[in-house]
Amino acid sequence: MEDCGSGILQRLIAERGEHLESTHAQHGDATALLRPESLLEVMRFLRDDSELAFNMLTDLTAVDWLDRAPRFEMVYHLYSLDWNHRLRVKAGVPDAPDAPAQVDSLCELWPSANWMEREVWDMYGIRFAGHPDLKRLLLYEEFEGHPLRKDYPKERRQPLVGPRN
Amino acid sequence: MSEAAQRLAGDSRGDLHSEHQVLNMGPSHPATHGTVKFLIELDGENIVSLEVFVGYLHRGFEKECESGSWYQAIPYTDRLNYNSAILCNIGYCMAVEKLLGIALPERCDWLRVLAGELSRLGDHLTRCGAACLELQAMTPFLYGIEARELTWDLQEELCGARVTSNYIRIGGVKHDMPGDFPGKCRAGIAKIRALLADFDKVVTQNRIFVDRLRGTGIISREDCIRYAVTGPVARASGIALDMRKDEPYLAYDRVDFDIPIGEVGDNYDRYLVCVEEMHQSLRIIEQCLVALSRMGPAPVNVADPRVRWPAKDGVFNRMEELIQQFKAVTEGPMVPAGECYQAIESANGELGFYLVSDGTAVPYKVRCRPPSLINLAPLPLMVRGAMLADLIPTFDFINMIGGECDR
Amino acid sequence: MKRAEKLTWVERLYIPMIAQGVWVTSAHFFRNLLGFITGRRRDFVVQYPEERVDYADAFRGMPCLVQLANGKPKCVACGLCEFACPTDCITIVAGELVDDNIERYPEQFDIDMSRCMFCGLCEEACPEEAIVMSREVEIAAFTREDTLFHKEQLLVPERLLKRRLGFLRAEYDRVHAAAE
Repeated sequence: MEDCGSGILQRLIAERGEHLESTHAQHGDATALLRPESLLEVMRFLRDDSELAFNMLTDLTAVDWLDRAPRFEMVYHLYSLDWNHRLRVKAGVPDAPDAPAQVDSLCELWPSANWMEREVWDMYGIRFAGHPDLKRLLLYEEFEGHPLRKDYPKERRQPLVGPRN
Repeated sequence: MSEAAQRLAGDSRGDLHSEHQVLNMGPSHPATHGTVKFLIELDGENIVSLEVFVGYLHRGFEKECESGSWYQAIPYTDRLNYNSAILCNIGYCMAVEKLLGIALPERCDWLRVLAGELSRLGDHLTRCGAACLELQAMTPFLYGIEARELTWDLQEELCGARVTSNYIRIGGVKHDMPGDFPGKCRAGIAKIRALLADFDKVVTQNRIFVDRLRGTGIISREDCIRYAVTGPVARASGIALDMRKDEPYLAYDRVDFDIPIGEVGDNYDRYLVCVEEMHQSLRIIEQCLVALSRMGPAPVNVADPRVRWPAKDGVFNRMEELIQQFKAVTEGPMVPAGECYQAIESANGELGFYLVSDGTAVPYKVRCRPPSLINLAPLPLMVRGAMLADLIPTFDFINMIGGECDR
Repeated sequence: MKRAEKLTWVERLYIPMIAQGVWVTSAHFFRNLLGFITGRRRDFVVQYPEERVDYADAFRGMPCLVQLANGKPKCVACGLCEFACPTDCITIVAGELVDDNIERYPEQFDIDMSRCMFCGLCEEACPEEAIVMSREVEIAAFTREDTLFHKEQLLVPERLLKRRLGFLRAEYDRVHAAAE
């Protein structure tokens, strides 16, 4: 595990190194790849540690690597208002027919995760364990499929939804 | 529990008014500038709970980007925040440039700052003007929109289109500013300043306007941080957060400007922050004009053949350039595999682009972090217990732009 | 940033502020009225369709095809604009000429104006200066079929496109001047 000259990664490796799979700092963005089962714990450490103090969850999204295992990758962008530094945290999420993709929700740590996790559920179909109100955000409830998955064709048509009442 | 909420609790225990009323507001409501639906639970005229439904303008921006080449996504970014299209252009192009490792020529930096600030000015004018309109003040709206028209006229001179500018290119801008642009721009700035002064006289100290805004829609500093709220909303709550100062990009480290910070975090603070930011934008534009005219002719695009299309007269007359042009258009830039996140300060807050490339000419993933969507999330918190009418200014000053919020 | 915590008593009275507001709006009104009487209009509104504004040199209207003096399109049907177009609104069917030294021409050249977003990438991609953004914006139609513009509707004689072509050529010169 390398710290890539980044003080953030150095501290993270020293304190929670056992939960990390790899690190890199491509284009100057410090990045840590976590084991998914320890996501909540490491995120809590990142938020509460006084030297890191990542008090803002700026962005949350997922990437669909169709042919890789694990198929999905959660991507979190953290920002510390006190120290003005950023960190990208990633965690792989496996997807199988009998065990659909699921990852821990971060709503209890940062309320800003609420809507963004709903968007990821909407677009990628990843479930968030512990999310208070997991439903579609941008699309409508009758929408079939999750459009940002790589196996969702761009031209696919959706069934017509009739009036609801 | 706030005073209003306590009063509510008391009301709902009594025999009278014990049933809450559910009100659907939107998706197309005359008092909201933005296509959004609110499901409001009302006790009398007070809001007990509120649920926001967004997505009415969802067009699949991110999916669409994954099917074209890198440069073909630039016109789509115009349609994100259509009030400040150039800022969205800048955000996307800077993210691609970060992946490619391109350093921009100096003149391009200044041109981007100039175009971006014009765009920000237009966005803030729309926000303040439309907020006045929705509070039934028609005249200041007209002044604000007239000033916005002036910024759009300048954008048309510079980019060729008023709204969907498509001005920024990967590694530069479409073309340099016209020779007579500085003069027109200075004349435009003078007119905009006069209109801002009129605007200020009509509303800033007007008692009706102040009573509607002061003390409504308060969000605390801590809540802003927890909800990752950025932009004027966060600054009105006292957070000195501005990408232009914190992580200076382009030429922002070479211009002199201040960022206004509010104290209370109510709508009135947001209004004042926006007005002050408009004056700062005008200052930045003037400094850009000075810097650009001092510079003299200089390239506005990088000479990198990966992203720069060959000069046109070469394409017309010589075979090598023609072949290069064919390759550049049909293939587009090959971006090395990797990922990056680039954030800029857009008119609404931190506009970030997270790009993943798998080494081909087509983006693997384009994620846009929409500031309007994330700033809208704490809206239920901001209006809980308030009167229904307070929802209007609160929603207006968040400035949710459908195109960017729903993508 | 400072904010006045309390309104002054003059402002709280409200009447002086109404007077100030009325003063501002009447100043606008009388200035516009004076301009209307003297014939030097100062109001901002343009009475479209009777009055029109002159667009900027850089203005991008509907894309059109350059027609040479002999009535033929300058286009050689290379298909670069088709590639560059983000919305795939251009359809070209190429034909071959045997007796001419140009050899290729567009047998069919359609632009679906209901999809076109006037971004100008076709113009930037064109290696022949054959498709340019005109100053035409009034292209409304009653049916969807009518928004599909064919070659005959798109062809515009070169002399009518002087301003756009002049703008483009001036840009090439500036790129050269800047590079040196």
